[in-house]
Amino acid sequence: MFAYIIRRLLLMFPTLLGITALVFFTMAFSPGGIGGPLLDRSGNMRGGQQQYIRAYYEKRYGLNQPKLVQYARWLNLISPIGFRSNDDGTLGSFGLKWPSLGESMQQHRPVMDLIAESLPITLLLNLISIPFVYGFGVVTGIISARHRGGWYDTATSLSQLASWSVPTIWAGVMLIGLLANRQYIKLFPTSGLHEPEAVFMPFLPHFMARGWNCGWLFDTAWHLVLPVVCLSYGSSAFLTKLMRGSILENLDSDYVRTARAKGVAERDVLYRHVFRNSLLALITVAASILPAMIGGSVVVESIFSIPGMGKLGVDSVQFRDREVVMAVTLIGGLIGLLSQILRDIIYAMADPRVSYE
Amino acid sequence: MTEIGTITPLGHGELLATESASSSRSYFRQIVDSVLRRVGAILGAIWIGTLVLLAVFSPLIANSHPCLMEKDGHWSSPMLAHLSAGDVILQTLFWSGAVLYFIPKPRRQTRLILWICVSVLAIGIFPFIINPPTIVEYQIYREDQQAGKIEKVFYAPIPFSPDDHLFDQMEMRLTAPSRIHWMGTTSDSADLLSNMIYATRIALSIGFISTGIALIIGVIIGGLMGYYVGWIDLLGMRLVEIFDAIPTLLLLLCFVAIFTPNLYIMMAIIGATSWVGYAYFIRAEFLSLRQRDFVQAARAAGLPVRSILFRHMLPNGLTPLIVSASFGVASAILVESTLSFLGIGLVNEASWGNLLNQAVGEGGTFYWWIALYPGLAIFLTVFAYNLIGEALRDALDPKLQENK
Repeated sequence: MFAYIIRRLLLMFPTLLGITALVFFTMAFSPGGIGGPLLDRSGNMRGGQQQYIRAYYEKRYGLNQPKLVQYARWLNLISPIGFRSNDDGTLGSFGLKWPSLGESMQQHRPVMDLIAESLPITLLLNLISIPFVYGFGVVTGIISARHRGGWYDTATSLSQLASWSVPTIWAGVMLIGLLANRQYIKLFPTSGLHEPEAVFMPFLPHFMARGWNCGWLFDTAWHLVLPVVCLSYGSSAFLTKLMRGSILENLDSDYVRTARAKGVAERDVLYRHVFRNSLLALITVAASILPAMIGGSVVVESIFSIPGMGKLGVDSVQFRDREVVMAVTLIGGLIGLLSQILRDIIYAMADPRVSYE
Repeated sequence: MTEIGTITPLGHGELLATESASSSRSYFRQIVDSVLRRVGAILGAIWIGTLVLLAVFSPLIANSHPCLMEKDGHWSSPMLAHLSAGDVILQTLFWSGAVLYFIPKPRRQTRLILWICVSVLAIGIFPFIINPPTIVEYQIYREDQQAGKIEKVFYAPIPFSPDDHLFDQMEMRLTAPSRIHWMGTTSDSADLLSNMIYATRIALSIGFISTGIALIIGVIIGGLMGYYVGWIDLLGMRLVEIFDAIPTLLLLLCFVAIFTPNLYIMMAIIGATSWVGYAYFIRAEFLSLRQRDFVQAARAAGLPVRSILFRHMLPNGLTPLIVSASFGVASAILVESTLSFLGIGLVNEASWGNLLNQAVGEGGTFYWWIALYPGLAIFLTVFAYNLIGEALRDALDPKLQENK
């Protein structure tokens, strides 16, 4: 098992290299090249001025070098062992150094800072959604498996397929339009994570001199309601189906027949024997649900203007902001690969019949 | 000796090939029959069929040009005069396909080849001989009619083209559904229903063609991986892992931001990013198939790899792939509408996602009709494909059939 994990971790490196190379070279060979839209944004400048700015960018980010060299320099930048870079862009001495993700061309800030601001928001969104997804999936899955073939079961399986098909963009637009709009019901905020005045709020709800103050925590939670709903309905439909199938499969198995023959109450059969065994299927998909939801949060963040990593990625791709795109790709790919490995390991741990020796 | 040695196994292989092909066809027939017995799948198929009809006949259903009009004493049909080459090609494909499907005479394969010939001819010829006027003014008919210059005029059921911006009726911008505009108007004064009818073409073609591309890539890569285990498999698995672990939407965004997206590039991009599932599946299938006797026999007979892979192994592993393909079509439509919604998909063509993007206007005004109808169209189409896929999967699962 240990050797297997080591082997998988080592195989991660070529894959990560492939992922970043794929994104890097598609970006580098695109018409206009890296940072192209940045130049076009200042379209009405005189020719000389634009050339000057282009020359500046090329020198600053090494865009005039061969593309392979550029990629190698980026790899050198993120690796903890390599050439230190001098202030004028030339390479210095070889040795241990602090890995860096470079500097954003669009915002002129270190990419590490941008990631440090946005990644927690995306993770927060997902970590709040996952308990809801699991809670809903487990409960409805159990109920519909218990009443198999009944009206509840039929209704759930139809509605799970339906909600699986509802596009997130439609759900988001309808929710914003109907529940966060002055024309209809102004219940929720339309965008962002906080009200502008949230900085001045106390953390918990308080009665203050000017009356009731809902507090920073409640304000944030209130902003997160609609995004979390949008992010979780699809996955919970998927988990409902999985849970139902898993319970039904276990109910047909020999150990359940034995338990019933011994006279164990039906309730105990379901909740003490079948339930625990059925959870295995849900645990193993946990590792693949997380990257799927992070992918889905790109859309949700764009709809609700939440400054998470998905929105950062969308914005930087449009400006072909090389360093930011590469950083988002690297982190997204890392999360994806790690959860693949985690899935296989959990699978082996949860089911003793599986072994990778 | 050598003659006998080569002929016999070859004949054997050919026999096996035809046998497996015919048995797979009857198996396929069974699956189709059992799918057609499910209500959900029937409803889904009806909806997809409706969309196909709407896509083929969209210029006849929604058009600002009158079908027939009598002006200054003689009759004319501006609608026919303004049909584009694409419209005529679609009509030719549809009608020749329908005729060839229903006539009993030649063998099925002959009819299929005939139809393909007609399609190729149509696609090759019509773009050169059909040149509709490039500058169109839709409002002239309405103005002439009001001025009484036209004696008689017959319009299509929906008398608005998708790019008719109603320059003569500026007050019609963003109006709610009414008797004239059944689904309201968009932010550039176009009729929403007409736009939605034309967008069925985008949705259907994106769904089918990008899934087709993904299937072809997936089958080739997965097949090679499953047939030659060893280092090709190891290399292929890394490729699969790359495309599996990369955040798909980000990769799509990269591709889309780089190539100015038109419909064809969009199909290629979606196809090139969604083949991983098929490759996984075919690989697993081929890993088990390659040990079977008929594959060993074909290999012993010295058949070329191409023949072993595609004529012997593929027909045996293909039917279950239809299930994933049907879900794949659904997800391709979702991906296209999501990209268009985010403003990085199709630019000049009105797709459902593009329309949905206009639902929330400046200042947060919510135009419910623009949100409701295009969203509903995406939902129903994706739902239809999912229902069909679900029914296919149930039909293929022998365990479920026992319980029935």
